[in-house]
Amino acid sequence: MAQISISQLSVGYGAEPVICDFSLTVADGSLFTLLGPSGCGKTTLLRTIAGFIPVRQGILRFGERDVTHLPAHLRDVGMVFQDYALFPDKSVFDNVAYGLRARKIDAPAIQRTVGEYLERVGLGAFASRLPAALSGGQRQRVALARALAIKPTVLLMDEPLSNLDAKLRVQVRETISDLQKEIGITTVLVTHDQEEALAMSDCIGLIRDGRLEQAGTPQDLYSRPRTAYAADFVGAANICSASLSASAATGALAEVQLAGVNLRALTAQALPAGKVVLIARPEMLVLLHNGVLEPNQLPCTVRRRQYLGARTVYVVEADGGIHLRVETHDHQVPRSVGERVRLLFDPLQTRVVAA
Amino acid sequence: MGPRHNRVWFWLSALVLALFCVFLLYPLFKVIASSVAASEDGRSGWLILVSDPKYRSAVINTLLLGLTVTVTSTLIGVPLAFFTARFSFPGKALIAILPMTTLIVPEVIAAQTWIMMLGNNGFLTRWLGSYDIEIPSFYGWTGLVTVMTFIYYTYVYIGTLAAIRGFDGQLEEASQSLGVPPGRTLLKVMLPVVTPAVLASAILVFTLVVGNFAVATILGHRVNLLSVLTYQSFVSEVGANPVMQSTLASVSIAIVACVLFLQRWVLSRGRFEIVQGRGTRPVGVGGARAIVLAAVAGIIVAISLLPLVTVVVGTFTRARGPVMRWGEWTTDNLMRALVAAPDPILNTLLFAGVALVLSLVISTLVGFLIVKKRSVLTPAIDYLGALPLALSGTVLGIGLAMSFRGGWLPLAGTAGIIILAYLIRRLPFGVRNASSTLYNIPDSIEDASISLGVPPLQTLFKAVLPLMVPSIAAAAVLVWTTTVAELSASLVVYSAGQETLPIQIFRLIDSNLMAQASAYGLVLLTIILLPILIATTLFKIDVFASR
Repeated sequence: MAQISISQLSVGYGAEPVICDFSLTVADGSLFTLLGPSGCGKTTLLRTIAGFIPVRQGILRFGERDVTHLPAHLRDVGMVFQDYALFPDKSVFDNVAYGLRARKIDAPAIQRTVGEYLERVGLGAFASRLPAALSGGQRQRVALARALAIKPTVLLMDEPLSNLDAKLRVQVRETISDLQKEIGITTVLVTHDQEEALAMSDCIGLIRDGRLEQAGTPQDLYSRPRTAYAADFVGAANICSASLSASAATGALAEVQLAGVNLRALTAQALPAGKVVLIARPEMLVLLHNGVLEPNQLPCTVRRRQYLGARTVYVVEADGGIHLRVETHDHQVPRSVGERVRLLFDPLQTRVVAA
Repeated sequence: MGPRHNRVWFWLSALVLALFCVFLLYPLFKVIASSVAASEDGRSGWLILVSDPKYRSAVINTLLLGLTVTVTSTLIGVPLAFFTARFSFPGKALIAILPMTTLIVPEVIAAQTWIMMLGNNGFLTRWLGSYDIEIPSFYGWTGLVTVMTFIYYTYVYIGTLAAIRGFDGQLEEASQSLGVPPGRTLLKVMLPVVTPAVLASAILVFTLVVGNFAVATILGHRVNLLSVLTYQSFVSEVGANPVMQSTLASVSIAIVACVLFLQRWVLSRGRFEIVQGRGTRPVGVGGARAIVLAAVAGIIVAISLLPLVTVVVGTFTRARGPVMRWGEWTTDNLMRALVAAPDPILNTLLFAGVALVLSLVISTLVGFLIVKKRSVLTPAIDYLGALPLALSGTVLGIGLAMSFRGGWLPLAGTAGIIILAYLIRRLPFGVRNASSTLYNIPDSIEDASISLGVPPLQTLFKAVLPLMVPSIAAAAVLVWTTTVAELSASLVVYSAGQETLPIQIFRLIDSNLMAQASAYGLVLLTIILLPILIATTLFKIDVFASR
């Protein structure tokens, strides 16, 4: 068990590095998720940590141990692959025993360890089956048992749930979470699914074009996005161009103009006066009946209404053609299309970031 | 994988490339280089080629034969494929064995049996003669075209069948629902999609005909053909002609190179994307049409199988020198081949056995390097690995003989050069088989093994190779069947005492000793058939899946 520290890492195949000057620390025993769209470099980073891609520059450490140039098979890394990568010619038992045999562990100990880990993933009765005779969820659990059985320093998972259907995904997700907490192994997981990231992680690193866009707890990332990109990628967000009349410090309540109305919102970073971006989650906005405007209210017209059972989604239009999404719960008064409304912004739930 | 380990694979790639250069490129270079050298009378081979009517006619005849056989094979292969794909009729299952026949009957035996049937002393010729029916001489164009057609039409048949089966039947339904009648729908919708596959297999037939030696030399008689003249100028007793042998070899290399280039072009144009190829079910046919279809298909299959029957009959027919006494039975021929003179059998088993083992090891390694360990050297290895496809056996044999006659690697006269010839000729097949298997093994399998602590080279043996075993076994059977039947390259490089079965059969045919040739032929067919039978029945290996 060890923390993973990455400092000023550069990785790449050709002239253009895929990952450039990347630094990150994954706390000992935590589950860290690398989140990002396909092609952002998150899998490259994971495979670099595993030792499959050579490092150009920078240092990679597991705890105190410098593993930057250590060959993959000596890194003591448990890896779970997107397509499971079970050896199709070997039984479930032999798959899990594979890494133990490579470590020249004696047969009774192997028998014990394999049994223990198969029990842990709930597949004790499947030891003699071939992978082909298992369902997708079972295969992924065998892969997990195989990776954990060697008692690795760190556990790496490359989109472990993406080949499973929606229901299984939640199930296996819970198995992984429970097992990770129980063993307390430092884990890095790669996914493009923000819900998965929010549900499982102690910490999320949002990756964009080989750089770290923002890292933090799931709550941090969702409620306190530092960029419009982060707000947009994690959850739904209204992202509007606005202007700031005077420069503002980090975390200050700043005065912002949107569609000719002054709104107050928290700044994500120190901002000079001028163009900024205003971020508001649809469920944080409140629709009020037409009336006298009070502070932090924007006059709007309802343009569309979608009833979704537990909630209703409205699209409202403010002056200047600005469209915003608003999510309300059932207990709120329904509004009809064409109705004039006031849109209430909560200053503490509204963010201002650099344009 | 760390850079240190990449280096191991890189040096292995470099080693493979070096071997290819020495044993493939260098002989090829030797052949082409000495074609431009001046011969004894000071003229270059190319000048002699254009001025001597014998050589001119050989080039023209070869091209003409190639075109003719390509057309006749297509005319038989395409309709047969269409009818078997689209209709079911009595006896259709028989046609399923068609691909087998080309594989198992060596060309030299096919040619031999046709002569035994329709040659000057053939039993059909004599039988017809007893009714005063004179048939034209089978030697020359008639025999060449007939025999080659019945050998090569299966290539067109197999290629077309695969294309028709992969064709999405919904496209036809779409066309008909848009108001085009069924017949025109076939022409307008299916034909364009299937055409590239037909053309590709037709082109393959053309190259095979151009490179064919066995049939050409046994049945060619007075028709000058490139492969025959090339061989003759190599072994000619009245002083071999090194310049002409190289020039003629270069001409056939050039012809095949042009044709393969054309094939690439055809294939690159033919990449239509067929979404969800849902083949149409074969339509049942009844009545007179069924009888006609079954009869035509039956006749074609029967003709394809005739060599097998004839070899068996010939083996057990009493012969006095060249005279076959049809109807008188004996086991003398077979006993002679098995007991008195079994050397060709032992040679074949030994040479082909060694070549097979080497071939499997090398092609698996090359496939692994091409698919899993790409480097700057990969494209070169990829191309060179397929190059032997473009070389006829005669050309390859001459190249090897010229390159390793003396000097630093005097292989000529040893069994080594025969094994080398076998190895190189069958290399593309093994490599293609290994790479297509490896493409289906995800890279993550290897990564998983390495991350579990098994070093890269051991990973190859513990995680990757076990997955390749079934396909290597299937490839082994096919490489074996084609290697023991190899004639044209080994005939060029062998020395006295190293006769293999095809060589011995060829020599016996040359001396018109058909009964003895049949006996060795039967042994050869057994050596070919036995592994296929064992593999398919005992080990349930789908030998023909990789074809």
